Amino acid sequence: MKTFHLFQLNPDRIPDLDAFTEEDFAPAGSEEKEAIVEKRKSVSYWKDAARRFRANKVSMAALFLFLLIFLFSYFGPLFVPYNYADQYRKSGKLGPREFSATEETIRKAEEISDCFFATALMPGSLNNLSRDTTYYFKVRGVTYSFYNEKAQGDLVLLFRENDEQKLTLIREKDLDKGELDKAAPVAFSTEPVDAGAANTVELTMIKRVFPHVFGTDSAGRDLMARTMYGGRVSIAVGIIAALIVLVIGSLYGSVSGLAGGRVDFFMMRLVDIIYSVPDVLIVLLLQVVLKSPLQSWLDASPSNFARLMSNLGVGIISIFITFAALYWVGMSRIVRGQVLQLKQQEFVTAANALGVPQGRIVKRHLLPNCVGQLVIATCLQIPSAIFLESFLSFLGLGVSIPMTSLGSLCSDALDTITLYPYRLLYPGLILTLLVLSLNLVGDGIRDALDPRLKK
Amino acid sequence: MKENENRADVPLLEVKDLEVSFYTPAGEVKAVGGISYELREHEVMGIVGESGSGKSVEAYSIIGLLQSPGKVIGGSIRFEGEDVLAFDPEQMRQFRGSKISMIFQNPMTCLNPVYTIGNQLVEALTCHNKDISQKEAEARAIEMLELVGVNNPERRMKQYPHEFSGGMRQRAMIAMALICSPKILIADEPTTALDVTIQAQILELMKDIQKKTGMAIIFITHNLGVVAEICDRVSVMYAGHIVEQGSVNDIFYQPAHPYTKGLLRSMPRVDELEHERLIPIGGTPVDLLDPPPGCVFAPRCENCMKICLHSAPPELTVGEDGHVSACWLHVKEMKGGRADA
Amino acid sequence: MKTGGRAAATGIGGQTMAGYIIKRIAVAILTLLLIMCITFLLMNAVPGSPFLTEKSTPEMIARANAKYGLDKPLYVQLFNYIKNYLRGDMGTSLKMQEGTAVTKIIFQEGKFKLSFKLGIWAVVAAVLIGVPLGCLAAYNRGRWLDSVLRVVTTLGVAVPSFVLCAALLIFLGVKLKWVPVISGSLADWKSYIAPVIGLSFYPMCYVAKLTRTSMLDAINQDYIRTARAKGLKTGRIIFKHALRNSMIPVITYLGPMTAGIVTGGFVVEQTFQIPGLGKYFISSILNRDYPIIMGTTVVLATLVILMNLVVDIAYKLVDPRISLTKGES
Repeated sequence: MKTFHLFQLNPDRIPDLDAFTEEDFAPAGSEEKEAIVEKRKSVSYWKDAARRFRANKVSMAALFLFLLIFLFSYFGPLFVPYNYADQYRKSGKLGPREFSATEETIRKAEEISDCFFATALMPGSLNNLSRDTTYYFKVRGVTYSFYNEKAQGDLVLLFRENDEQKLTLIREKDLDKGELDKAAPVAFSTEPVDAGAANTVELTMIKRVFPHVFGTDSAGRDLMARTMYGGRVSIAVGIIAALIVLVIGSLYGSVSGLAGGRVDFFMMRLVDIIYSVPDVLIVLLLQVVLKSPLQSWLDASPSNFARLMSNLGVGIISIFITFAALYWVGMSRIVRGQVLQLKQQEFVTAANALGVPQGRIVKRHLLPNCVGQLVIATCLQIPSAIFLESFLSFLGLGVSIPMTSLGSLCSDALDTITLYPYRLLYPGLILTLLVLSLNLVGDGIRDALDPRLKK
Repeated sequence: MKENENRADVPLLEVKDLEVSFYTPAGEVKAVGGISYELREHEVMGIVGESGSGKSVEAYSIIGLLQSPGKVIGGSIRFEGEDVLAFDPEQMRQFRGSKISMIFQNPMTCLNPVYTIGNQLVEALTCHNKDISQKEAEARAIEMLELVGVNNPERRMKQYPHEFSGGMRQRAMIAMALICSPKILIADEPTTALDVTIQAQILELMKDIQKKTGMAIIFITHNLGVVAEICDRVSVMYAGHIVEQGSVNDIFYQPAHPYTKGLLRSMPRVDELEHERLIPIGGTPVDLLDPPPGCVFAPRCENCMKICLHSAPPELTVGEDGHVSACWLHVKEMKGGRADA
Repeated sequence: MKTGGRAAATGIGGQTMAGYIIKRIAVAILTLLLIMCITFLLMNAVPGSPFLTEKSTPEMIARANAKYGLDKPLYVQLFNYIKNYLRGDMGTSLKMQEGTAVTKIIFQEGKFKLSFKLGIWAVVAAVLIGVPLGCLAAYNRGRWLDSVLRVVTTLGVAVPSFVLCAALLIFLGVKLKWVPVISGSLADWKSYIAPVIGLSFYPMCYVAKLTRTSMLDAINQDYIRTARAKGLKTGRIIFKHALRNSMIPVITYLGPMTAGIVTGGFVVEQTFQIPGLGKYFISSILNRDYPIIMGTTVVLATLVILMNLVVDIAYKLVDPRISLTKGES
């Protein structure tokens, strides 16, 4: 080592040299050096992304909002005693949190005598009875019958716990008057009848009367139940459509990207053509066109699959077909882009040089690196699908009656909008929040997986 | 090698104890941990270091281009005696481009693709000289293009950046930086992104211009070969600190700091007669979020002593002409000398 | 794809502008033809004829079919249609306004004009308001104005158009009585307000978002750093350097935006009771009036394709990297 002949400490910074001993100047061992260098744990890509997502307050709030809506739609009906399809007479045109006249009466009646069960509100109420007909109803597993000799009007089945658990059948008219004890009961046979009788209406007993939280539509259907149900349909359609797009698009895109050359060229030209066609026009036409053939196919076909499909309704199936036909192109472009980029990466070349078979390359090297983009694209596809579905339903070309989606609810509400604005407000609001939250979650995922250090 | 005449007494640029930190979500990154140097007129100062050593960051702070989350948290920068850090935005704006200019690493992306080269050159001039006419400005722009060796400058003026090659673009950048005749040019790795042959051309050009205009240059690079070509003085940076500083001869022929020595050893040399392995510097670069106490280079230094691990070494003058180095080994030697005496 | 850097710099494989335009026009025409074929096939894929009512007998149907040429094979029908289309004849309505020429219905009865007027105003509003808002947000990045704008625009692209239109109808029309509830034929300027807002809000918010993002992207580019290093004023940096580069994605968006405004028009016309082409189109679909469906589809599709074509050409003009001439260094 060269010795320097001039040693001068910088005048502004002269450390106290006497503070250091001989020992300090001994060479340091490698363990001591290691101890100083704290090795940072290397975080995996996904954990890191998850951490970033969690830190993003807006996305977390949006995720929470989506979960709320999801729970509302899927588990809400457990708490609401109304069904989306049942029409409750005399309940039309109710505002939010209102009760129908019958329900009002029952509430009043509840105050008079306790332990009061009413069934007029439940599915299969004994409404619109014809004369000279025998009706059967089933309560708590026991079937009863009564013979309607004169026009009784509508009947309400009560169960008063106090008097020896007695079932009483009285006219709704009498109930309206509020004088329960004076109401003349309608006779019915308490002897159990063979449960195999047709036209047996199954009645459920409930204790409390539940308000129509969102009001009702003009046919007397509870809007909250319909909104919940509509929410289910919208979410489900959105997710399934996005999955369809994902599967078709990624298959097409990866085949095209991997194949390269002329195959790729022609496949992408097809994509270009489909892309340049104004989609909504074709979608509208498809919707109209597919309805009748699908219907006839479903009616004719005996298979279980067909039966399952017909439960969904023709409208929804044609939406799925539309998505499968037109909307996968965006996804395929993304996947193809990814595949092309990855194909040229050195690790793929290395794998090829090592003789790894193509399928394995796809599985182990290409696909995992695409996953990020795929997740983002799919997540952002869901709100578009929901948007499109509600648009179609709004125009009357989406889901079919009696199924309802948030879009068709809005459409139904349009006629009476000046009188009852809330009918459109609730489903519209839920729809907006649904799309909003999914968009924000999608943005959050994209920021988490593909961070650009913006501050 | 270089002309060292006309050294004024007041340095053109004086950086003292400059500290710059980045406040990131992960914590405070101490990009520059206290550096000092002086730049005199007509001098070419090379700042050498690996990626992450803080060399670009300190340059950005001089010219006021440091953006959040970065902040200057200590020290001073004086240009001709004036405190640059105290400038208000308008003063800074006038300072930039006219008194001090900067060229950057990647000429491909440094020019706006939608405007012509001429447009961008003229703009650089007119934003500082309101009175100059369009014709005069264009004439000067053509002059500059000629100066940097772009042939056919009248035609080139009307072309777009994508019509220029990499080397051409860097020449145009240099022209743009020089058009207001600044006193200092900061060159942040200007040749790194270019082919080796073009690199040589640009370096020749810069040397040439420096001789003609007498401008001072701060030349930032990680390539010691380039430093040898063009610089008068060199500052060696590691992990935000200047570990050694001196004239180019001193640094190359009498390196004092273990890091500098390590760098020189790891360079392939054309004049080596025997076949020798390149000796790299072992270890990994410093994590600036949590720099080690004591000497920043200690964990990678083969001469590391116990004291190096817990105390930061002082800066000592180890030679003439402002040759300084910050290492405990020098203190040890010095103490050894004193003990003897 | 073997486009190397140099080829990309000189343009699409060294093509000239004229060649590019011709190619794009050809593609546009092909697409239009394709749409016509698809529409035609779809129409005829539905079993039954438009004349099928409860009271019609097979003979009546057959006679009606023959009268309108519906009994000929499909490809003949398609060929005839295209032939007639080139002559400006799009057939006559079969159901909704029996006997009236489709072209007359669409163009002379003011339907197209109405929808077009509405659409143009929406486009203008979307761009003229959206771009400045986006610039404002980018300039004030991180401050409260930016946050407010981001919230509004994010909501704006999430609200379905029918919800928005309904809300506008209720608040502006009913509650505040500022605008007429039924806009009808857009007679006075007041009746424009609500439908134009409803139609332009989504594209406006999208354009604002797009502008903001691309401005921020542009500001992070190296050439902006150079501009700052040169000592340019901030205003000049933004308006001269950043803005021009960030307009490129916005121009590209004009194509899909037109398609969106066409379809958004359906909803707006439905909600505000405007007798425009969109509303008519929906009815024609529900009524299965083939010639009208075909005619309207073709007209609307032509609009969209035309706009896409204009955008493609304009885009290449704005970005000199895809150059007209073959300048080389």
